[in-house]
Amino acid sequence: MDPLALLTLQALNALSLSALLFFISLGLTLIFGIMRVVNFAHGALFMLGAYVGVTAHNASGSFLLSLVAAPLAAGLLGLAFERTALSRLYAREHSAFLLVTFGLALALTEAIRLLWGADARQAELPDALSGIVFVMDEPFPVYRLLLIGAGVLCGLGCWAGLQRTRLGLLLRAASQNPVMTAALGNDVGRVRAFVFALACALAALGGALAAPLLSASLGLGSNVIIDAFVIVMIGGMGSFLGTAAGSLLVGFAQTFGNYYLPELALGMTYVVMIAVLVLRPGGLFGRPE
Amino acid sequence: MNLSDPRLVLAFIAAAGALGLVLPAHATTLLTEALILCLFALSLDLLVGHARLTSFGHAGPWGFGAYVAAGMLLAWQVPLPVAVLAAGALTALLAIPVGWLCVRTGGVAFAMLSLAFAQLGYAVVFKWNAVTGGSDGLPGVPRAGLGEFLAGREGYHLLVVAFLGAAYLLAWGFVRSPLGRVVAAVRENEQRAEALGHDPRRIRLVVFVLSYFLAGVAGALYAGFARYVSPELFFWTVSGHVLVMVVLGGAGTLVGPMLGALALFYMEHQLSALTESWGLALGLLFILVVIFAPRGLMGWLQAWRPRRRDA
Repeated sequence: MDPLALLTLQALNALSLSALLFFISLGLTLIFGIMRVVNFAHGALFMLGAYVGVTAHNASGSFLLSLVAAPLAAGLLGLAFERTALSRLYAREHSAFLLVTFGLALALTEAIRLLWGADARQAELPDALSGIVFVMDEPFPVYRLLLIGAGVLCGLGCWAGLQRTRLGLLLRAASQNPVMTAALGNDVGRVRAFVFALACALAALGGALAAPLLSASLGLGSNVIIDAFVIVMIGGMGSFLGTAAGSLLVGFAQTFGNYYLPELALGMTYVVMIAVLVLRPGGLFGRPE
Repeated sequence: MNLSDPRLVLAFIAAAGALGLVLPAHATTLLTEALILCLFALSLDLLVGHARLTSFGHAGPWGFGAYVAAGMLLAWQVPLPVAVLAAGALTALLAIPVGWLCVRTGGVAFAMLSLAFAQLGYAVVFKWNAVTGGSDGLPGVPRAGLGEFLAGREGYHLLVVAFLGAAYLLAWGFVRSPLGRVVAAVRENEQRAEALGHDPRRIRLVVFVLSYFLAGVAGALYAGFARYVSPELFFWTVSGHVLVMVVLGGAGTLVGPMLGALALFYMEHQLSALTESWGLALGLLFILVVIFAPRGLMGWLQAWRPRRRDA
């Protein structure tokens, strides 16, 4: 294969992986930015999205519908969890959140095992999306291009939502100074509930999009959450730009690393994460806590 | 009756040892594994409960200790107790640079840093095929140099009991020692402890190293118990699991986390036989404990007994 073509295809693969990672880490960083909560259940919600997506797709025959059903289910679950469990803990220290969301991750994984069984589920793509296109005379799956587009769209949408709307202004205010925001007559509790639900929905959307590529299996959540942590820690907790940059960094590092340095790729990501946490505890784009 | 009375705790540990001699073979094996997990949870309690450093990477020292012991037993047939202690010592040595970097931070950053180090260990053993056996792990770890009785089921059980008793005494002694009191002081008010002339970072490092030492010992005992080590020992869900034990039992009490380990292990084995949804029940139970009983099982038990002057 032409080396330039190989490079281009790998860059496209890396971009599509980055897009998937972006969906899950964006929610994670939003939650942290607004509530200072590390959500260990985010991987499980991603996985839930994959399962709901596959089931909705198989039941209705519409892939598009699965992209609505998955975020809806996870968003509602997230809303219920925030209202019943997390909202009781805001006065407590960080570790309580780590623990309670870890509990949710356990419970959710088990619930998925009960509902769907232990076998992996693979989603079939509709014909329109399962084709290939030729990039520099080499075949490339259409669906991966679609993922890149979805990632870009999601990024732009969230950025515009945060920077250009009244709701986004409220979110940013609640992130910077929740007490003052509340004093100005805003219901910060509702903002938190909304953000948590939105973040869960984003993770599930990522899961539903990933299902045709990675297939829905029980290990999916616990593997993807670590990547998301790495991204969010490198980029800076609560930083939108940092999350985008971190997703690209990890997506490219994994794709190219697995090809050129298969022995070292996995470890290198963690070394980078440790280095960033030690040298810049707030992440590359974040503020130190 | 004070549940935290060390004589009572040691009596319980001794009773667990005696129990291993009378129980059916299968039950003894389960009890041995549960006691190793007790030691693992005890080691994490020093960090989480006593220093209030929530580590999400305790699978790191556990896996490291297990691999070091397995390597020594496989390569050189070192007597097992020596291998266990050496594994603990090497884990403690490793904990000095790792801890030095980790204890600079606290809260979420500490949890994430410890997690990253454990995952790094996972990546190394997973990929370094020549030394660690890669994803296959190292099978056939011998219980070397123990003699026929100690290498058997009951003997190994007693060995684990002895290590658990010694580890508990060590942890209890440390918490009671002047240094242990300073750890508590740093936890409660860092500025004041600093004003009294203590270096919070160095104090935290001491707890970190001790905690890693005990976790390394626990991992090494596990390697001899299972006669097999695999990268799964390093995986982050292991860290989460042992944290559940600590919180379920009651962080900061030393006894509580051991009870939590026993309770969790027992529930997993009993409930999984009864109903398929035990994992779901366990996850929900854990959420409820965190929200409504932040002091865990020990909190409940202590609420039952008559009030004392000093808990």
